[in-house]
Amino acid sequence: MTAGVGVWLGLGLVLLTGLCQGNSVERKIYIPLNSTAPCVRLLNATHQIGCQSSRNGDTGVIHLVEKEDDLTWVLETGPTPPYVVLLEGSLFNKAILQKLKDSSRVSGIAVSYTKPPPAEGFSLDVKCPSDGFGLYTSERGSQYAHCNGTVWNPLGTGFSYEDFSFPIFLLQSENETEVIKQCYRDHNIPGNDSKPHYPLCAMQLLSHMHAVTSSATCMRRNSIQMSFSINPEVVCDSLADYNIWSLLKPTNISGTIPPEEQVVMSAVRVDSRSFFWNLAPAAEGTVSALVTQLAAAEALHKVKDTQSLPRNIMFTFFQGEVFDYIGSSRMVYDMQKGRFPVRLNNIHSFVEISQVALRNNSVLWIHSDPLSRANETVNTEVQDMIRILKAASKGANVTVEEVEQSQALPPASFQRFLRAQKIPGVVLTDHKDAYHNKYYNSMYDTAETIKMEYPSGLPQEEALEYVTETAQALSEVATLLAKTLYQLAGGNDTVDIKADPHTVTRMLYGFLVKSNNSWFQSISRPDWKDALENKQPQYYVTASQNGNKRPPTIPTRLLMSVLANITGQVVNFTKEECQNPDKAPDSKKELYDYIWVQGPLTGNTTSREPFCIRSTMHNHFAESPANDLNDWGSTEYSTWTESRWKEIKARIFLIPSQELEIITLLTGLAVLIISFCATYFINAKADILFTSTEDSGSAAY
Amino acid sequence: MNLERVPNEEKLQLCRKYYLGGFALLPFLWLVNVLWFFKEAFFKPTYTEQPQIQSYVKRSAFGLFVWVVILTTWISIYQTNRASWGATGDYLSFTIPLGIP
Repeated sequence: MTAGVGVWLGLGLVLLTGLCQGNSVERKIYIPLNSTAPCVRLLNATHQIGCQSSRNGDTGVIHLVEKEDDLTWVLETGPTPPYVVLLEGSLFNKAILQKLKDSSRVSGIAVSYTKPPPAEGFSLDVKCPSDGFGLYTSERGSQYAHCNGTVWNPLGTGFSYEDFSFPIFLLQSENETEVIKQCYRDHNIPGNDSKPHYPLCAMQLLSHMHAVTSSATCMRRNSIQMSFSINPEVVCDSLADYNIWSLLKPTNISGTIPPEEQVVMSAVRVDSRSFFWNLAPAAEGTVSALVTQLAAAEALHKVKDTQSLPRNIMFTFFQGEVFDYIGSSRMVYDMQKGRFPVRLNNIHSFVEISQVALRNNSVLWIHSDPLSRANETVNTEVQDMIRILKAASKGANVTVEEVEQSQALPPASFQRFLRAQKIPGVVLTDHKDAYHNKYYNSMYDTAETIKMEYPSGLPQEEALEYVTETAQALSEVATLLAKTLYQLAGGNDTVDIKADPHTVTRMLYGFLVKSNNSWFQSISRPDWKDALENKQPQYYVTASQNGNKRPPTIPTRLLMSVLANITGQVVNFTKEECQNPDKAPDSKKELYDYIWVQGPLTGNTTSREPFCIRSTMHNHFAESPANDLNDWGSTEYSTWTESRWKEIKARIFLIPSQELEIITLLTGLAVLIISFCATYFINAKADILFTSTEDSGSAAY
Repeated sequence: MNLERVPNEEKLQLCRKYYLGGFALLPFLWLVNVLWFFKEAFFKPTYTEQPQIQSYVKRSAFGLFVWVVILTTWISIYQTNRASWGATGDYLSFTIPLGIP
């Protein structure tokens, strides 16, 4: 009986397809999920982390888990395993993830994004970030190694660095989550007999990763493929982008600068990561410091007498720092090899800004390295820096305090410099010991986390200019930083330096709310305008094809546009001259970098007034030295690589019971066999069946 | 080629060629030889060249058996241990499967 219905249904479907044409059968069966973020596989010298689906994707019956008790159905009682768990974001925690990971009845997880973020905090990063690649290791400063003494990210569960054998996707759109929930409610909730009735709503998650085991393995396979295969299939790429750096005093960078020239370095990191691919809003983790340093750079470039300062100031923005210090380790490596204009001996002192937006009572903490301070000269200079910082904070709305001298440095790019040389330096943060950031390296580290609040209903253009409290507070920190750097460079303390809260608020808006705003549009290169989006930028460093110097990533482009604009001058060059400074008279190419930008809209029209900006901004390719040394088993340098994949997708559809599937298959086979037999017999008896009467034969042909 | 229509001397020549050709590391020639001449060697009424054809077929079969044993052993060792051999395993492989060790 069922078989008969099946046949008729099938026939009906075929007819329907004929009527509708095209591939509408697929559209009738599947609902694709378009706004998802997958968890992908990354590899280092020894491990693989992230998620992997089977080659054709993993399918399972959807089960909604809204509270912990719902897990029992998935893990024990449910009669139709495997399941794809639709997990509420608030339940995406250590205990539940561990249970799901250990179960063989789970074929995938789809996590919904919760709003507001979990109040108790959420961080899937490790408790001791970048352990082993910083300054403190078992051989050097072992009393501080492995965060012995201070655990920086106590909320961290470490799941970002674990390997999952099933796919995990984040559902970013509430609408899509609702569609899935509706499908679940309509089909999967058990009836009165506590058994679900077919058809059931199922989800398929596809994220098949090509690389496996470790970076050493995948890099070896890359090179074998490149040298032997006719159709090479690269399996992984190294993580790389560009460090951006800029000097306050224009300096010839065609060679290395003279040894007697001294440079004060100011540094921040530009990147972040989270459990999911290309999802790293990093408001407190990265952008708070980034914006502070940019504002300080702007303030210092406005000061008139900077050209006569005895020392230069270098603003540095490191990429890939979250992956065991890719950017800073490469810069130190190049400095040691003499491939970078500045050498380690030129560095007078080092100031790094880490997370600074969540200060308690406006207190900014000064961290320094106890190991290098054991050296008397370094200690004196560090004390001098602390004195300058404290003096600079007088009259400002910031209090600076020093942590105990016995406390180790928090994870910072500065650690990579200290590994190479004892340089006096400090790291400024909003936390004394553990991070104030409850969402370190997670998808919830957004503008709301650092309390960027706008009056409701504010139009976009006004929001861009609206000075939030956060912007005001960060501009105070920027002022402090600018004054400190100025004095470290040998300037006196009487000069009035002040960071502009308006620039800070515009930068925060562009970097955290919406990069496609009028200011960013006007300072963006015409060919980079696609980088501007109507949402917040993501700060994941992304993979670069090995050896290929591709264009900078989106956050780096935004950073370059802003930095050039706030520290450079408009010059009267034509487009041609700006893009090829060799052709322009007096371009001083070895001192300056030129970019041609779109410019603001003119009047009410859609045309723009482009112009040329000259700045001392330069870029530096940030790829781990492990690639240069071809040592992917390195314990000295970052070895992170990202696997390649063919396709990543998620979709939902209804699945019939297994009996129905078998019946359908058997019916199909039966029809096939019957038609074979029929054809055979008809063919064999053709002379009897088709006896042509004389006249019909002539009529037919 | 239909063996029925070939004179016996030519059959012997052919069988001999296949047998010798197999020594050029071509076990498939031996396989073909065995399959093709099996009937000729053992089921046909006796003729002058038959004992020689029989010996070639037997030797080809033996060579084929040795090859099968060697290949089976190697392939099973390779397939079960490739992943654990690491770099060596990769260098021995012509195609490397994606996404598994």
